[in-house]
Formats: sequence, structure tokens, C-alpha cells
Amino acid sequence: MAWAAAALIFGGAPHLFAVVSWVPLLVLGVAGWRIAAAAWGWRLPSLWLRVPITVIAFLAVVMTYHSISGVEAGSALLLVMGGMKLLETRTERDRILVVFISLFLLFAVFLREQAIWSVAWLAGGCLGIAAALVQTVRQGPLLPLPGAALVAGRLLLQGLPLAAVLFVLFPRIPGPFWAMPDPQATGRTGLAEEIQPGDISALGLSDEVAFRVRFEGAVPATGALYWRGPVLERFDGRGWSALPGPRRVQGVAPPAAVGGPEYGYQLVLEPQGKRWLLALETPLQWSAPRAVLSPAMQLLSAEPFGERLSYHGRSVTSGSVATPATPQLLAANLRLPPGRNPRTLALAQQLRSVASDDRDYLRRALDRFRDGEYYYSLTPPRLGLQAVDDFLFESRSGFCEHYASALAVLARAAGIPARVVAGYQGGERNPFGDYWIVRQANAHAWVEAWIDGAWQRIDPTAAVAPERIENGIQDTMVRSGVASGRLWRSNRLVNRMVLSWDAANAAWDRWVLAFGPETQDDLLLALGFEVPRTMQLAVLAGLGSSACLLLLGFALRRRGRRPRDRMARLYERFCRRLAACLRPPAPGETAQHYAAAVAAARPDLAAEVQAMTELYLRLRYGGGIDPEGEREFSRRLRGFRPGRA
Amino acid sequence: MRSPWRSLHDRWRDCWRKRVQDWVLRRQGSDPPQLTLASGRIYILPTVPGLLYAAMLATMLAGAMNYNNNLGFALTFLLAGAGVASIYHTHRILVGLRIHYRGAEPVFAGDPLQVRFSLVNDSAEAREEIYLDWTGSAAVPGGLPARQSRSLCLPLATSRRGSLPLPRLRLSTRAPLGLMRAWAWVHLDARPLVYPRPGSRVPAGQATDASLRDRGDEEFAGLRAYQPGDSPRRVAWRHYARSDELLVQDYRGGSTEDCRWLDWERVAGDADTRASRLARLVIDACEADAAWGLRLPGTRLGPARGRDHLHRCLAALATVESPGDPQR
Repeated sequence: MAWAAAALIFGGAPHLFAVVSWVPLLVLGVAGWRIAAAAWGWRLPSLWLRVPITVIAFLAVVMTYHSISGVEAGSALLLVMGGMKLLETRTERDRILVVFISLFLLFAVFLREQAIWSVAWLAGGCLGIAAALVQTVRQGPLLPLPGAALVAGRLLLQGLPLAAVLFVLFPRIPGPFWAMPDPQATGRTGLAEEIQPGDISALGLSDEVAFRVRFEGAVPATGALYWRGPVLERFDGRGWSALPGPRRVQGVAPPAAVGGPEYGYQLVLEPQGKRWLLALETPLQWSAPRAVLSPAMQLLSAEPFGERLSYHGRSVTSGSVATPATPQLLAANLRLPPGRNPRTLALAQQLRSVASDDRDYLRRALDRFRDGEYYYSLTPPRLGLQAVDDFLFESRSGFCEHYASALAVLARAAGIPARVVAGYQGGERNPFGDYWIVRQANAHAWVEAWIDGAWQRIDPTAAVAPERIENGIQDTMVRSGVASGRLWRSNRLVNRMVLSWDAANAAWDRWVLAFGPETQDDLLLALGFEVPRTMQLAVLAGLGSSACLLLLGFALRRRGRRPRDRMARLYERFCRRLAACLRPPAPGETAQHYAAAVAAARPDLAAEVQAMTELYLRLRYGGGIDPEGEREFSRRLRGFRPGRA
Repeated sequence: MRSPWRSLHDRWRDCWRKRVQDWVLRRQGSDPPQLTLASGRIYILPTVPGLLYAAMLATMLAGAMNYNNNLGFALTFLLAGAGVASIYHTHRILVGLRIHYRGAEPVFAGDPLQVRFSLVNDSAEAREEIYLDWTGSAAVPGGLPARQSRSLCLPLATSRRGSLPLPRLRLSTRAPLGLMRAWAWVHLDARPLVYPRPGSRVPAGQATDASLRDRGDEEFAGLRAYQPGDSPRRVAWRHYARSDELLVQDYRGGSTEDCRWLDWERVAGDADTRASRLARLVIDACEADAAWGLRLPGTRLGPARGRDHLHRCLAALATVESPGDPQR
């Protein structure tokens, strides 16, 4: 009984803080009652009390979560069920059921939490619950605690090879089969399809990892690391958002080779609950499942994804891509809301009149940012309705989204199609794992303008704060004192520790959490198989697990059959020879007694049998190891041929 | 009131059981009193919790696939691995176990027969949680640590006298996880004796109905003076008529109490009743430390006295049949 309760604790403990608060109270109360019943003979609640409590708890869970299928609601329900089951565990089957509920709860832990330490919980929880199962199904007296843990640990270790083979080879099928309410996607910081002034600067202090990248081959310069996210083409006078489009985007072919170096990389994207994926500036190839390239050169997956995603990409970062653009698209990229930001429009007229062409116009606009007393600030003042006017003429202080927005508006006002691209810029190289960490603080916005039949990247932040682009955001923040709370990271030792911990996390993400169709494909290719793969994986998984089973069976048989002691083995052989002509030793019969019985029945063998028995007893129980004596015994055994009398 | 469905189900189950039993007996044959369980005769099937466990793992797998949750996969596969490893262990617990049938002391019908076994574990692994039963009777634990032996008694209910063929012995285990149940059937070719249950003590007047005092076996030794307490049947009345002297006939070999012969033919009832009544008489005779003889169809035992003679008589009574009765 205690063991079933212990199992429930192993599975349920991590949930107690995550579910609505009355559930832990109920479960703890019930467990307390149960313990009191076991210890001091309290009466357990009768059926008339148990059934209403269960029904009320069930309804309360449904009303709290409006569902019974989500992770939260499911684990709350399981907790309630496990707790109530504790109150009526009389038979062995009840106890087993509690143990199984605990296993389900343990499973639900990992739907909620997948950090590196959860492996420890996985191992410990498995061990604890398996030990509880071992004890629960015993009919005889219970094992002592270490004994039960040993049995359970051995079983888990022996199952480990099979588990590993299945984990690596079990075909991963991309995508969810049924809709899942994803608790991880809500309330997550990160980029959005809409940017208001101040949105990106709010991310500037977030150390949260957005994604990690490992370059395969050459690495672009830090200043060229533009990670493209949502492309924002609609301006409402204040903020930018994506053009409303059909839900299922018609993908376009990636641009033909544009010249310039191509960079291959593998990207592990943290769950963000959004549809768009990140890619280095202009993606040419990508291996993300069910992802298409939108006309705005943005990678979009078919569904928002709530789990970690790992994919390969190949990109160019020339800063200009010639892609076919429809007149409608260009028109959309010229649209400005009427009556908004009049002073900016007037500035555009003024600049246009002196500029020789589009390029010159944009250069003049950037010059204005550079020379016109503009400040790059993580904590810009709040802007009013005429946001661009306020920024350009009043506050003159802003983060990248303010500059990008102002430049795009200026370009549109001058008849140059322009849009804002949100994404990330730069990243931090981790020398311990040779990869780049891109954090939310690296969030960035820049402008793309349609000049000479191609979209040209123009980054106004580079004009105002070139060190932001060249040295990275972290460096800028530390120097400007904005991130004073982050100064500790400038300490070299601390920084090394932080980076090595991140390297461990990155390896964890890459090899365990993001292990999926992608990684399996790589593995299969490395083994010399070709895609399509599901069948091959299934066959490999089958073969691998059969091999594991055979090996396990073989190992266990050998272990069980062979007595460990060499002398015991030799003596067994001796007894077998005697048994062939006389009788085997009776169970529990001592060697001396057996020898005497043989000697009485076969006086001709008496001397030899007595001598060998004495030798055996001396070697086995005399203490110490005597290899010479063992050789002597086995030599005599070879010569010992008792014929039939 | 049993529903027709229920009875159909029972009939179907019994029929299946019979077929399985016959099949097992055909393939294994009957066993010697000393045997080692070979792996070919260990049967293993999942238990109900085992099936539930499999269903639970399938659900977890579906969940892990849906959420693409690798830790979920890891947990599922780890549990599956442990479950599979436990199958080997459940099987291993019985394979290679040595069983010795050590006989059973005879008992009176109705008392449980204590059938003795020794179990020997030669292997370096413990064989925990083994249970022995006669397929359905109360089980007796027989678990063994590594390289040890133990002896145990398995009670077997008896209902009537005779030499009782041992039912099929079952050794089973569910350790370590209770997901699988392995068992072995042993068909021992042994028939321990069950003595007839002694009948109730008969009132004194009828006590001699089965016995007769047989003087044929004793030698006439002469006449002696009457002593109070001598049986009137032994008084030499003829001599008394002649001489007025009260003498009694004296026999040599007979002590004060002379030998009683208990005769099958002189007891009423069917074979079981007769055996039961004679059992009572021989026990009483033994308790009174008297000498007795037993006459059964085809055999004569004694006359003698003592416990050995008692057991010989009871053993004979266990299996004896009336000549007219059909053999069972």
C-alpha cells in the first residue's frame, strides 16, 4: 500500500505545482487519510462519500479547464483519479492500477517540461515506480528497499539497449495527428506577425534562446547574419503587420543561384507556437517538413508548431535578391494610411526633390539618421498616434524597429516599394560546441526596398549604431550600461560557465529533443540508406530490437546456468561422472556424506573419491585461492573414469 | 439461477481446459519423481495487468508521436524495455529448477494429504516468488535464493480411501513485475495411500460382530481351577457335571486376552463402509495394545500387535475391494 502511494508521489509530484491548486490539496488530504488509516486504523470513507467526492472533483476539473484532453486537465484528472483510487485500494489489482496511473502522470511531466534535468526525473521516476510495481505484485513478504530498487534497476538497465534502439530507429512521423492545445505556445516571448514601436526593444533584455545554429562549412561575418522572420508589408500609421493572405500559402520556387557564397547550416528552433520558421537571409534549400517559401521569401510551415524543430538550410546573404514581384504586391508595398504622419511625408517630398534616384534618396534618408542627432536606445520614449512623426522630429531616440519603420515610410512616401522584415541579427558564438546562440535579445527589424527589380536589404540601425550590427547586441548593451544587471556576464569565468551550460543544453536539444525525421534521415543517409525511409526505419527497428532481445536472452541464460565458482563447476562435473554409474548427490547432501556413500557402494573407487572430495573441500572452503590445487583437481578429474561396477 | 450464457461459457471453458490438459500431457508425458524443468515445458502468458501495461504503453506511444515528444518516446521505450526484460526473468525463474517428489505420509480419507517436495536451485540467480499448487488449490510459496534448496509440504484434499493418483502439480510465478505469468505442469506418476476414515466407535454389545475368537490357532494346554472373571464359555461344564469341580479350559499362546480376528466377511455394508468399520476396529485394537489379525478377501494379516501392523492393516484396507464389487 505504501508503495502504491510512493509511486503516485513519483509520478505526481511535478504536477502538484502546475495544476489548479485545489487538486494538490485534495490529493494530499486523501493521501493523509490513507496513511492515517494504515497507521492508526482510521476508517476509510464509505462508498457514499467517495463517489460524490470523485464526481465533484471530476466536474470541477472539467469546469476549470473546459476540457479533459489537454495536458493540464489530463494530469489534474489523473491526479484526482490516482488519489481517489488510494482510498479504495483493497485488492492487488487496485494497487497495480495506482502504479499505472503514476506512470501516466510521469509521462505527462514530459509533455510539460523537457529541460535537461528532466532526464534525472525520468530515470528516478522510472526506478521508483518500477520498484513500487515489484513490491506491489509480490505475494510473499516485501523485499527490503535496496533489494526492490536493485531488481527494478536491473530490469531497466536490461531494457535500456532495446529502448535505445527503438528511440533511434522508431520512425518519427512529422506533425500532430490530432489537434493539441499547446500550453507552451501561450505567453511566450518572441517575435510576432505584428510590430508596434517598442515591441522589439522589449525583447532586448531577454536572455531566452530563440534558436541555435551550427554552420556546415564557412561562417558568414557577424554583420551578415540576418535571420529572416516574418515579413511585414502593411502599415497602419503606427505599427507594421503581415499582409492578410490565404491560410494555405502557395509556395514559390526558391530564387535561382544569385551568386555569392552559399552557407549551409543546421538550425534548432525553440518552440514558438508560430507558423514561420527562421532562415538565414535568402533561403535556397531547406529540409523543414511541410514548409514552403512564401512570395515574400519567408519560410512558412503548414501548422504552428509547439515543439522544438531541427532542420537544415542553405542560404545566401548578398543583401539583394531578384525575385519576380507582381504589380499587386508592389502596390501593396507602397500603401500608406492617409492622413497619418504628415511631417514625414513632407520630409519625403523635400528629400525626393533633391535626390537624383532611388538609391540616392535612401542614402540621404540614412544620412539624416546618422548625422541628425538620433540616438539608439533600448528604452525609447513612448510614441503617440503619429508614431513616425513623433520619432523623426520629437524623440529622435529609438530601437531598430523605430528606424526601420521610419525608413520604410519614407521610402513608400517617395514611391519606392518597401517593407519591414522582422527577425534576428547576429548571435553569440559558443566555442564549447562550435555553434551560434541566437537569443530573443538578438531580435531585429530592417527594411527591404524594391530597387532596380530586386529587393535590397537596407538596415538603418547600421547607420545609427554600426557597433550593434558588427559586435552584436550583447556588447552594445554592456557598453551603454543599459544592461547593468547583465554585467556579471562580462566576467570571463562566469561567461565561460554560462556558455558551457548552454553547450550542454544545445547538445541536449539537438540530439534528444529535436531528434526527429530530420536527424533520422541524416542517420539513415550516414548508414548508406536512401530516402524514402519509413519502411526502412521500421525494418531496421525490427532487426535492431530482435538483436537486442536475442542478446539479452542469451546473456541471462548464461548467467543463470553457470555457477560462478570454478571449483563448484569442477565438483559438479565430478558428481556427474559418479552419477552416471551410481547416483547423484541428494539435495542438501554434504560432500563428505556423498563420498562416504559412494565409497560404501564402490570400494574400488573409495580411495580416489575420498581424496578428491578432500581436495575439493580444501580448495573451495579452505580460504584463499590455490591455482595449483585447482589444476591438480582438474587433472585428476580428467583421469577419473568410474566404470560401471 | 445461472444464465444459459453463463453455463455455455463454463462448458466451453471446461472443454478447452480438458483439451489443453490432454495436449500438455501428450507432449510432456508423465514425470519421474526427480526432474529438472526444461525450458520447453515452461508456459508463459501475459497477465491482465500485463495486457493493461501494454495498452498503456501503446497510449503513451500515440501521445509521444502526436506531441513529437522525445522524452515521451524515451519513457515509453524504457518501460517497454523493462517489460520485455521482465519476460525473460519470469521465464528464468522456472527454467532449470529441480523438483524432487518426496512422497506423502498416508492420512485418513477427508484429511489433507501432506505431499512433500524438495526444490533445488542450482543457478547463481535467486528464484523468487515461486508458488506450487494443484491447479486451483491454495498455493504454497516455494521461492529460493541462489544455490539453495528447500523442502515444502503441499496439502492435497482427500475424500475417500484408496491410492490417490496425484493431480497435476503446477509451479508458477509472476515475479518480478507481475506482467507475465510463467508456469510449469508436472504430472507425477505417484499414488500415495489414503486410509479409510475410521468409523465411529460402536457400542460395546456389538463390538464383537466382526471378530471371532479363534481357538484353532491355539493349543489346548489342560484344565485349571476357575478364577473369578474367567469366561463362562471356557468352563468345562462336562467335567463340572461329573465332579462338581469348577475347572476352566486353558490354552497356551493366549495371554489373559486372546487374539481377535477381524473379518471382512463378518462386517455388513459396502466396501467403503466395511473398510471404515474395520479401520476403527484395528485402531482400537492397537490402542488397547491387543493382538489382532485381519482377514480380507485374498489376504490375511497377522495376528500381531503394534503400530507397524496397524499401518499394514490400514494400507490393506485402503485398497481392498469386495470380491463381488467391480474394481474401481
